[in-house]
Amino acid sequence: MTATATTTRAIVTGGASDFRPRRTGSREQLISWAFLAPFLIAFVLFLAWPIIHGIYLSFTDQSLTGAGGGFVGFANYAEALTDPIMWQSMGNTVWFTLLSTVPLIVVALLMAALVDRGLPGQWLWRLSFFMPYLLASTVISQIWVWIFNPQIGAANNILKFFGLEPLAWLQNPETNMLSIVIATVWWTVGFNFLLYLAAMQNIPPQQYEAASLDGAGAWRQFWSITLPQLGPATVLILILQILASLKLFDQAYQMLGGVASDTTRSIVQYIYEAGFVSYRFGYSAAISYVFFALIVIIGVAQALITRRKKEQ
Amino acid sequence: MTPPLDMSRRQFLTAASLAAGAALLAGCAPGSPLSSRTETLQFWHLLSGGDGVTMSALLDEVNAAQSDYRIRPTVLAWGTPYYTKLAMAGAGGRAPDVAIMHATRVNGWAPGGLLDTWDVDRLAELGVDRSTFPGPIWEKGFVGDRLYSVALDAHPFVLMFNTDICDAAGVLDSDGKLQQTSSPEEFLDQLRQVGGSASGHALSYGYLGDGAQMWRLFYGLYAQHGLEIELPVGGKAVIDKDAAVEALTLMQTLLDGEIAAARADYGGAIAEFATGKSGMLMTGVWELRTMQAANLPFDATTIPTLYGTPAVYADSHSFVLPHQANADDARRDLVYRFVAEMLKGSFDWAEAGHIPAYLPVTSSPAYDDLVPQAHYASAADNVVYDPTAWFTGSGSSFQGEFGAAVQNVLLSDADPAAAIDRFEARVNTLLRQPNPADPEGTWKP
Repeated sequence: MTATATTTRAIVTGGASDFRPRRTGSREQLISWAFLAPFLIAFVLFLAWPIIHGIYLSFTDQSLTGAGGGFVGFANYAEALTDPIMWQSMGNTVWFTLLSTVPLIVVALLMAALVDRGLPGQWLWRLSFFMPYLLASTVISQIWVWIFNPQIGAANNILKFFGLEPLAWLQNPETNMLSIVIATVWWTVGFNFLLYLAAMQNIPPQQYEAASLDGAGAWRQFWSITLPQLGPATVLILILQILASLKLFDQAYQMLGGVASDTTRSIVQYIYEAGFVSYRFGYSAAISYVFFALIVIIGVAQALITRRKKEQ
Repeated sequence: MTPPLDMSRRQFLTAASLAAGAALLAGCAPGSPLSSRTETLQFWHLLSGGDGVTMSALLDEVNAAQSDYRIRPTVLAWGTPYYTKLAMAGAGGRAPDVAIMHATRVNGWAPGGLLDTWDVDRLAELGVDRSTFPGPIWEKGFVGDRLYSVALDAHPFVLMFNTDICDAAGVLDSDGKLQQTSSPEEFLDQLRQVGGSASGHALSYGYLGDGAQMWRLFYGLYAQHGLEIELPVGGKAVIDKDAAVEALTLMQTLLDGEIAAARADYGGAIAEFATGKSGMLMTGVWELRTMQAANLPFDATTIPTLYGTPAVYADSHSFVLPHQANADDARRDLVYRFVAEMLKGSFDWAEAGHIPAYLPVTSSPAYDDLVPQAHYASAADNVVYDPTAWFTGSGSSFQGEFGAAVQNVLLSDADPAAAIDRFEARVNTLLRQPNPADPEGTWKP
């Protein structure tokens, strides 16, 4: 038993000295640190340091042009908290999260149920439902800009077919957020669909068998067997989805051609605008930390809710 | 069993990486066969498409004409990305020797020390001075009493018209020029007349989701009232409500779905006019080449003076000196020579539609024969630029804010006055913010 273990280790680390336990420890440690080093360096350079530096920046009036940099205390935070555009962008982000999360869960569930239970040629459906998720945000933005084109777009042709007035989907402040939600659902629903499908296929088939012997129909089985067992998957999807939706930027920015619309400007876009259009790095950093606070609140709330559920 | 293979693989990898490294280093070495005295000057600009082709032909000419310097252009995407990168290069101390900026953007940049000033005497020695530019274009280069930019051109927002359609509609005079209109009513009547002869709309004007397009037409019409929007530092915006509402209401009327399409984006409008479906197009002169390539019977003129004062909305591509901590005097000399050469050779730049700023070019007999450019050359005397503030200008957030405020009015029959109020409130917010190039507000022109 011991011999086998030692041999295995010797093969893994490949050194004769491994037979001496003490030196093995330090050497193995060194090797494991060496393997960790690439990640650690990247982590410190691109995550830890920017987070610390960002906090520092948010207390200065540093500009992208190199000017400023003086300590201004909480002035940036005071400005952010009284800035109507900041609150509007925050509201847009939360609104988008609500608008997109619901269909992204419901539609994904329906699609998964159809593929799991009903439709023939499962692989084809699985592929086509998931495919849009593989596209880059730039690509889906272009596709939907054309679909929503006010003059020759497919969306308006459909409206015309039903005798409805054509819309300026992406330009009208009343419809542009909805248009972005539609495009986003089409783009990312495939991922949630896949998670749901995997969860459904984990449900033992015997349960359905037993249920049908008891005379349960397809609906009964779905309501009483499938849905209850999708709980953990739904919680996972919900969390992932909220985090993904809060990050709204690329598709909205690209579909509107970089235009700042009061009804779609997300908080991430406002951070970008403050930093890279208005060159106010300090202010931009301050808004990021206000946004960070929002995410922390959501994270804590979510942790509390799941803990209470577990206790029950 | 594996050692020999192992060794050879390592040797192979070593050799391969050495070879790759050598190739990389070789790539860094200047590959041109120019003489050792030739200085390479870095020149950044944001001109792509047809403009980019014309610009690179101009640079080829300048490079071929002498051997003292060679211009190495770097082209970056128009608008925000360009200005962000240029500012960062300046802040990082690695600015190019010379760059193109929109004249309207210079005001925001001058205070931060991102730009060096032009020596007026040194330019004059090379034949570039106040007398060789239309007054407003030369003046635009100044912030306070120092010259920060030298204009290559003025590129106004103009009116192109399809000569066949307009002729059929009977709105051309005996010279084949568009009949003058001098009030909104006359202009609308003329457009309705044109509409009868066009298979599409009378007028093509793309504006959807494009703050700059909305602003270009609006501010030209506003300025025709003999007014300008004033944005005093630390104060409140001075906007004449009546004039602004009048201009915006006219735009709303144009976009009634009959005269012009109610929902047209930039590309849609260009396509409508280029395929001969509409009688007129409101556009920047930079689309001239597109229309010439479309083999369209067309001419161009300035947007008619509808409110009394001739005023043409425009911007200028201008040469600037991005700040260099240790500017090399000999290289600077070459930059001055380069700019003078470019201005003198800017006749070809007119082919891209722009009005060259250098008067000896536009006053030459050859320019009179350049049609339709000569037909709107007079615009250079009446150019109106963006109101002066650190946040205005082409590709700035200011024009985007305007679009966000008025988009709804142009799409529907919403109240123009409310939109102007929204815009004013937003501009006042911007006015309260410090210029990021000078956050402490210590700079004096």
